[in-house]
Amino acid sequence: MRRKKVCFVGYGSTEYSRKSEAAALSYYAEAIRDALRKTGIDKKEIRGFSITTQASPDYSPHVAEQLGLEVDWVLNGDYGGAGGVMSIRRAADAIECGHLDLAVLVGGNSFDRSTPTQRQLEYQRGNFVDVFGYGGPNSLMALIERLHMEKYGTTLEQIGKIAVAQRFNAINNPQALFREPMTMQDYLNSRMISDPIRLFDCVMPCSGAECILLASEEKAKKITDKLVYLVTDAEISHYQVANMLPDKTTFGQKVVGERIFSEVKREDIDLFEIYDDYPIAVMIQIEDLGYCKKGDGGKFVDAHDLTYKGDFPVNTGGGELSVGQAGLAGGYLHIVEALRQLRGEADGHQVKKAERALVTGIGWLNYGRNLGTTAALVMERRK
Amino acid sequence: MAEARMPQKSLPKVNKVDQPFWEGAAAGKLMLQKCRSCGKVQFFPRVACVDCFGELDWIAAKGTGKVHSFTLVRVPRNPAFKDETPIYYLNVILDEGVIMESRLVGDTREKVKTGDRVKAVFQETHDPKIKLPCFELD
Repeated sequence: MRRKKVCFVGYGSTEYSRKSEAAALSYYAEAIRDALRKTGIDKKEIRGFSITTQASPDYSPHVAEQLGLEVDWVLNGDYGGAGGVMSIRRAADAIECGHLDLAVLVGGNSFDRSTPTQRQLEYQRGNFVDVFGYGGPNSLMALIERLHMEKYGTTLEQIGKIAVAQRFNAINNPQALFREPMTMQDYLNSRMISDPIRLFDCVMPCSGAECILLASEEKAKKITDKLVYLVTDAEISHYQVANMLPDKTTFGQKVVGERIFSEVKREDIDLFEIYDDYPIAVMIQIEDLGYCKKGDGGKFVDAHDLTYKGDFPVNTGGGELSVGQAGLAGGYLHIVEALRQLRGEADGHQVKKAERALVTGIGWLNYGRNLGTTAALVMERRK
Repeated sequence: MAEARMPQKSLPKVNKVDQPFWEGAAAGKLMLQKCRSCGKVQFFPRVACVDCFGELDWIAAKGTGKVHSFTLVRVPRNPAFKDETPIYYLNVILDEGVIMESRLVGDTREKVKTGDRVKAVFQETHDPKIKLPCFELD
């Protein structure tokens, strides 16, 4: 579906920390404060609120109360790593319906142990996965990576090139936890975690938060002269759910991509913020989205420069792999980076031509298949 | 108190939906669900056919299949499993046509390749009522 009158008007981020036990609420507040300060918006103008976090499910009204937000619309945007894109979709629906004209959407996490515990594993993961001593998501993605390598001849060097390019992008991003250059040898030599997944395939868990301000076109014009529109967006949950022998190397992004690219042209996208819990997940999404044939992701990566200076810029601020994964803020990091790029505010890692960005989210590695939630959106800067 | 806080190896919290599976496992049987309407076999246990929403029966699987994919776990999510690393975590395609996530055990497990034939074995746990369906190279 094509959106007409929904705009991204602002963003906010916090510092990322591997140690901080500051309250998650403080992180949410800091990200919102940053967005309000950048846009000059008064807190009272916010009429909608969404929170994406791994804390307990009825959390969003509690958080809104803590932050002193009287709102006409409130959402628990907990869709795993697809939480950013999927929450934006729901907020856009509400804005188009006229329920509100300005929403703030937040994703975040902290190591604060005094607040509610993380949500439970869904029951099949508890009873039929965890009991065998699996290594969390690292092991579930390792099963997919091995299949991709064996079926298509994908090499570690091809997968590693994604991690190495993203690190290059992170060097000038002050938010990134990892800013030292990384070589292919560094990648290949990193410690094995769950074969063939090694340490530099994994994200660093951290405390932090991201937020996005989404508005009606009319409201947006009062806030900023850098108008960035939501062009089109799509999602699918539980792709292949009834298939007991699914193709683990094809995600729901295949369907999402077909929907997105019935509205915009693949070649019109300038930069790609692709959910990167693992480099192999980025490669598979590039295939699913139709930028190359299924299985040719390795060759595609060989043939393109994925850095912010390159012909196919991917995760231009370093992505979760180099910036860090602040829980479900991971799904917002990509949207915030895309907006920064389209507004021309990505100092030190700015893509030269940045008018149109594709952002994806994937969430929840599930039993026997691959991803539970998959989503994408396209945003565009208009003069 | 110190002992009570030691991490325990994870065990299933048996519920109404998957109880027949765990009762079967305790008796050395690998139980799957089969749709009464369309005949589809499915795993993991659910309350309705994942395809046509029909009602379900339980059937005993042959307990054989082939390795679909595997990984050697060096860092288990639950640290209580650390003494067993590397853990050969795998996806098996059962001969009934469903994927089962499990663990490869037995002395020959280092030789595993995708496509290898495997058979189910039932491992005892620290709860005498619970046996875990694992696999060995056939």
